[in-house]
Amino acid sequence: MRVYRDDQKFLSFRINAVLWGIVAVFLFLAGSFWFVQGVQADKYRGLSEANALREIVMPAKRGLVLDRTGQKILADNQPAYTLTLDRTVMRPLVKGDPQHREKLIAFLAAVLGVTPQEVEARFEKGKLIPFARPMPLAEDLTMTQVASVQAQAVAFPELNVEPVQRRNYPYGTMAAHVLGFIGEVNEKDLGVHKDLRQGDLIGKRAVELMYDEYLRGRDGAQYWEYDSHGRRLAEYRPARKEPVAGDNVYLTIDFELQRRAEQYFIENEFVGSAVALDPRNGEVLAMVSSPVFNPNVYSKRFTPEVWKVISSNPFKVELNRAIQGLYSPGSVFKVVMAMAGLSDHAIDTATTFHCAGSGVFFGRRFRCWRRQGHGDVGVSTAIKVSCDIFFYNTGARLGVDKISEYARNLTFGEISKIDLDGEKAGLVPSTKWANEKQHRKWYPSETISVSIGQGPLIVTPLQVANMMAAIANGGTVYRPHVLKMIEKVGPKGEVNRYQVASEVLHKVPNLSDRALQTVKAGLWKVVNEEGGTGGNSRITGLNVAGKTGTVQVVAQHGWVKAEGMPFRERDHAWFASYAPGAPGDVPKMVVVVFVEHGGHGGADAAPLAKLLYESKFRGQVQNANFDLSNPETLQAIKEGEAPVPGQKPKAPPVPAGTGH
Amino acid sequence: MLRERTRNLSNVDLNFLGTALVIAAIGCMLIYSATYFSDPSLSFVRRQLLWMAIGIALMLVFLVIDYHVLFDVAPILYGIGLALLVYLAIFGRQTAHMKGWIHIGGSQFQPSEFTKVFTALMLAKFFDSNERAYLSLRSFIQVMLIIGAPVTLILLQPDFGTAASFFPLLAVAMFFGGIRWRVWVVMILVALLVAGLGWGVMKSYQKERILTFLDSNRDPLGKGYQVTQAKIAIGSGGIHGKGFRNGTQGKLGFIPARHTDFIFSVLGEEWGFIGVMIVLGLYLFLIVQALTFAKHARDRGGTFLVICLISFFIFHVLINVSMQIGVLPTTGIPLPLLSYGGSSTMMFLIAIGLMLNVDMRRFVNE
Repeated sequence: MRVYRDDQKFLSFRINAVLWGIVAVFLFLAGSFWFVQGVQADKYRGLSEANALREIVMPAKRGLVLDRTGQKILADNQPAYTLTLDRTVMRPLVKGDPQHREKLIAFLAAVLGVTPQEVEARFEKGKLIPFARPMPLAEDLTMTQVASVQAQAVAFPELNVEPVQRRNYPYGTMAAHVLGFIGEVNEKDLGVHKDLRQGDLIGKRAVELMYDEYLRGRDGAQYWEYDSHGRRLAEYRPARKEPVAGDNVYLTIDFELQRRAEQYFIENEFVGSAVALDPRNGEVLAMVSSPVFNPNVYSKRFTPEVWKVISSNPFKVELNRAIQGLYSPGSVFKVVMAMAGLSDHAIDTATTFHCAGSGVFFGRRFRCWRRQGHGDVGVSTAIKVSCDIFFYNTGARLGVDKISEYARNLTFGEISKIDLDGEKAGLVPSTKWANEKQHRKWYPSETISVSIGQGPLIVTPLQVANMMAAIANGGTVYRPHVLKMIEKVGPKGEVNRYQVASEVLHKVPNLSDRALQTVKAGLWKVVNEEGGTGGNSRITGLNVAGKTGTVQVVAQHGWVKAEGMPFRERDHAWFASYAPGAPGDVPKMVVVVFVEHGGHGGADAAPLAKLLYESKFRGQVQNANFDLSNPETLQAIKEGEAPVPGQKPKAPPVPAGTGH
Repeated sequence: MLRERTRNLSNVDLNFLGTALVIAAIGCMLIYSATYFSDPSLSFVRRQLLWMAIGIALMLVFLVIDYHVLFDVAPILYGIGLALLVYLAIFGRQTAHMKGWIHIGGSQFQPSEFTKVFTALMLAKFFDSNERAYLSLRSFIQVMLIIGAPVTLILLQPDFGTAASFFPLLAVAMFFGGIRWRVWVVMILVALLVAGLGWGVMKSYQKERILTFLDSNRDPLGKGYQVTQAKIAIGSGGIHGKGFRNGTQGKLGFIPARHTDFIFSVLGEEWGFIGVMIVLGLYLFLIVQALTFAKHARDRGGTFLVICLISFFIFHVLINVSMQIGVLPTTGIPLPLLSYGGSSTMMFLIAIGLMLNVDMRRFVNE
């Protein structure tokens, strides 16, 4: 039963009118759909198959890598041409002409100058890339190759020449171990970075890897309509995504220091490493590992043969010896011994031991490096002349576990947490280590070897530099780093810069001020007093302080001259230093030089330290005869022909007045 | 009281409710088919299911409470809706030059969708107390103010698409409220005056947006392109369609907004003419049912409430389906219960609840 309403009739009428109106519209729509889906279905089906909106990636410009001043560009991008294959275009062509594929391969082999098998191999490799995406076939096309491909555009419309930005390292081998290199993503990278796709390039090593997130930027994309013949029609603009360029990365590397240090190794054909640190904040001013490699070679895709050459190099070119090379510290470790002995009161400044050239400890005879002995020596003289007997005694008093404790506090046995990949921790032995890792007893006589930096103790050059920095700055361990600043450039050119703050990892505990002053005085004498082992790094007017080290590679019986030994059996040479290092100075730079099989620390390693201090503090160096400002040399290095040890470099002309 | 409520609930028109839910279920399948390729985590489908669950809960709330009670609180709900729009107009975050979204935690919602329901309630309440077959000028102005307030606030965002979707309320008010020819003349004059003044003060990008809204050919590679692609998708589906998940146009990303405004093209491509007819049939059934509810409603308020609400359905379905095959220009108007979208799904489910509410209380002797 309903309530009677006046308006009932009026509303009912209009509702019915609407109802029939809607039914009519629905019928009209049904008819329209019938027309589109029934009558014209074939036409649209054809369009659907042919009509394709294809994505064309607009690669982001990878960020630059610059030195600390921003004046030297260490890594940039160069325009280059990549040859790609569009398989969506190729498929119908192969269907239409069974010989098309063969013709294409023959054409490619001819243009690229490779075998047809190599072209097939590249096709095979490209299968990992999604079908609709262009598949790269060759990089760095010459203009002749570009012209050849474009001349055959009608016969092979599936080939495209795409302008790309190729990673370029203008100084070739310069700082290669710090810069790293880029390469194609692998399965592991794809698992970590969801936004990447097969065929993309990514940082693989060192700064390129560590700061890839900043450097990479974000790729953009264009969407193009294609007709059934694979011809590009028009870009579908609204879908366009502009690429976002990567951020620029400024390193702490001082171009001049890096250049000189590398030059020193190249010139002398040394294998080894050098590290320059700022002890006030942990900035890495230079980091050299020799021999060097040319990262430009790695940033190409199709060079497996180059890999073979590089990986078979007996000098392990890729190894960054500064952080991955593990060596006995030798006499450089005496700095730690002196700090430990004094701080732990095993010895004091008045303690003297008599050195007669050798001594018996725990039933075994141990020699001093100086056959005739040093006589009575106190701690600072022991450092100056690097007397082994003094430190054997100190080590015997401390015991290996005390030594181990101080060595760990002074940065050994742990990674330094530098912002580079693959850093090695080294090893600081202790009785616990012998028991747990070696399942054996620690022999007290081993402690004697460790006291002069031999035995199971192994360290990296960076750890030595870090230790010297902690001594130089009075006991602060900074996190060493190569990143100085990230520079973000916005789409409208606005620049934001983010400086890296220095990070204190820890303060060295139990470090007495007196011990520190005594050791620093000893280190100063090493360089600046007659009879010190580091006289080769002496600079008038600048108080360099440091410690030499010579590491026996092969157990020697008796005293043998280095020059008379085969290369592989020669001693390693160390020089660890800082400056200015007179009492009361605030040291501004630590330099550690390590030369594999170099012979003597004082003779082979110290001169480089001198060179670097001269460069940093005076801005003029007299003995640089391998000049990178020489265009010929620079070109040689750019082309990857930088001299490697064991192979005489082309002698560049010596600028008048700079010889020595 | 309890017995009454259970008896009421037994009066719920299950055909109507069932039709709505079947449309929503088809919508989920289509959203899945449109997005699984580009979004393997299925986040769109999951979110749509979540909104449907919330929407069904809200639907039950608006079903159980007697619509007369809702008429009593209508001014409050309407006030809240307007307050949210004012808030947005002043503080709203700019999402793609539009302030229409309020951010709650991680998700967003569009208050304008809910304001549509509240405005419909307000309008129905007005007609409930206005028993005359023809509106007086005074009543007409009141109606215009009820509809005009939210529309003005939405235009300030500025969101012309949503503002336009209030148009069915205007049509209902004029067609079912009854307007004499003198009022028509006054209204047209006022409309022209407002449009002229508005055009003068508008910024050029706003003008461009209106022109594009009215004529998609102004942006041929934009919306025109969308229609072309949608038409290719639908046409290539043929009679039987390419099969569930087998559509290529949608999957390969040729159709922008394929899970929202162009979900119907996915239906046409994958389910063919047959699928299109089934879904259009379901909509038609829903509309015919609702108009029957309107005729049989217990009072004038109930009739107007149902008409207002179903008018949204009619408007959205006709505009959206027509634009798929290029009969009408492209606008950002989603398909009720079929398109992806939280606020609109919830709004349409609430509307379903309210229409059932009116229908199940059609008997007087409660």
